[in-house]
Amino acid sequence: MASTTQHALLSPAELAYLHASLSLTPPIRPDGRSATQFRPLAAETGILPGTNGSARICFADGTEAIVGVKAEVERTRRGDGGREDDGGELGGGGGGGGGLGSRLEGDFVEGLEGDFVEGLEGTVFLGAMLAEALLASGEFAKKLWINRRFHWKLYLDILLISPPLSYPLPLLSLTTHLALLATRLPRLKSEGDEDPFFDDDWAAAPYLYTRTKDGKATSRPPVSLLVMAVGNNIIFDPSKEELAVADVALAVSVGEETTKTDEEVDESSSSLGRNLRLLSVRTIDPPSRLTPPGVPNATNSAYGAAATTQKQPEARAAESEAVEGVWKAPRGGAKALVMAALVQKSLVRGGVADEVLDALDAVDLVA
Amino acid sequence: MTDRRRVNGPVGSTHPPVFENEPEQELGASKCLRTRAPTVTRKMYLKTGVTPSASGSAYLEIETSGKGSVSGLKLSCTVHGPRSLPRSTPFSPHIILSTHVKYAPFATKQRRGYLRDPTERDLGSHLETALRGAIIADRWPKSGVDIIISIVEGDQDREASKSQGGEAWDMMNALSGCITVASAALTDAGIDCVDTVAGGVAALVRDEGDDTTPRIVIDPIPSEHEQILAACCVAYLPDRDEITNLWFKGDLPASDMELYSQLVEKGIQASRNSNEVIVSSLRETVG
Repeated sequence: MASTTQHALLSPAELAYLHASLSLTPPIRPDGRSATQFRPLAAETGILPGTNGSARICFADGTEAIVGVKAEVERTRRGDGGREDDGGELGGGGGGGGGLGSRLEGDFVEGLEGDFVEGLEGTVFLGAMLAEALLASGEFAKKLWINRRFHWKLYLDILLISPPLSYPLPLLSLTTHLALLATRLPRLKSEGDEDPFFDDDWAAAPYLYTRTKDGKATSRPPVSLLVMAVGNNIIFDPSKEELAVADVALAVSVGEETTKTDEEVDESSSSLGRNLRLLSVRTIDPPSRLTPPGVPNATNSAYGAAATTQKQPEARAAESEAVEGVWKAPRGGAKALVMAALVQKSLVRGGVADEVLDALDAVDLVA
Repeated sequence: MTDRRRVNGPVGSTHPPVFENEPEQELGASKCLRTRAPTVTRKMYLKTGVTPSASGSAYLEIETSGKGSVSGLKLSCTVHGPRSLPRSTPFSPHIILSTHVKYAPFATKQRRGYLRDPTERDLGSHLETALRGAIIADRWPKSGVDIIISIVEGDQDREASKSQGGEAWDMMNALSGCITVASAALTDAGIDCVDTVAGGVAALVRDEGDDTTPRIVIDPIPSEHEQILAACCVAYLPDRDEITNLWFKGDLPASDMELYSQLVEKGIQASRNSNEVIVSSLRETVG
């Protein structure tokens, strides 16, 4: 994790100031955004002609990622029992410059292969997180089914081009989302269980995520949002500096329900907005735990405190008391209620998840 | 000229025979169903100080369910440190925590390699998050501690077919065991913590037969249930009433946040149970 979230070089005084300004109501963020506002971003799809689908997103702070989706036909192993939804396989991955590919089968992570250039634990964590959300509902695996003997294998190669100026999860997740939306697979011409034979007319290729005539996607891949809590405030899409003072940070993956299931079809609510689904929540180890503590004036010998020769008891005393305005790395965890509020806030109707999905809808999809 | 003196094997490569499952298993009659109450965890055995060469260690074993083919989780954890960092590392005002989780090659149905695979790395980073909240890191500047967990035996039903997809959920159970055993080992090593952290798992399951109402159970065994809809693993500090790590996975409608909170609440309850085991095991060591 250390290399993907390189520590913000902030002094204890700066951290204390940042923490105080983010705890105000409403919070004052260094870049002037509101608590639920995302960083402005530029997005385009279809930038890589050699892929089945691709996307590029550039955040205003300069972080940029490219995702390319490549599909291959693979023979389904017979030993797997030939269940219908057994065929989906997906290669995914993320990396700072180094591609790593994950191979997932059905809803089961079989293994990540590839060379990890740097940031071992961090990239694995990010890769696992993106894959987990994608496979949470069995829908995705079903899309990759060709027939009983063959299935598509999808490789998702995620390239973080810029240096990791902020925790890259939202960027990578949004880029992957767009690339998957733009992904098209060749139209199948063969029938039944014979060897697959595809239409070579690329214009006829259907989208992986089906869409209506006017280009609206009827289903969509999940997005992962980064949420953090400081004091009593909940802040979305934190920058690296903001994350450095977080009390708790969560990554929340949200999907949209499109298929009508027998349970809980709420007709009235579906007309109002999106039917969001919670797919995964992971706690992100906040880098604030690794920040250096400040020294209060009372114990600072440079400010006239009695210089003590016995260091140990003094250090213990200083550590126990919290002084207003002096930075201290947070200790312990977060209350269950705070965590629940973070998740609730990101899922609320008309909230951030809705807003992000609406914004991504506006991107023209070119495969 | 062919060799006619000997009986040679076939020229090409051969495939090992694949047998179909016996029919009575498919009927589900022999399938082990959950007999525990939904709020009861499996029995646990925890012992600290099992590895003399490490500064702290613990061993955790979780009871198997009744069927012979189901193995219980067996974990061994060693803590090395706190020790000084090598000279080349830059100054750190806190203890540097490194966690390694490794399945033994023979721990699961499918053999694992000697190198850590991504699921093991992922478990390691979850464990690190869970422990970092509990350790009082600023009491050891310029030092490091290694926490190494080997999963001697995974928590798996060997007769369950792969298509049931229990492996993804097994990770949650493994993580909760890892958190509990690591916490006991940290205490054994005498590393200051704000509280003893413990792990617990709760899941929203749908059983065979009653497909109307999913129910929440704690400490689930994936093979005992028809389908697991969602699960969450919680690392919880009981005295401070705080969560250091929360991992939720599944598919829940956003409109039903009540269900999610209940799931987390049950996860906390499960981790309270494992915390009791830690506390009584530590009492035994002291007393």
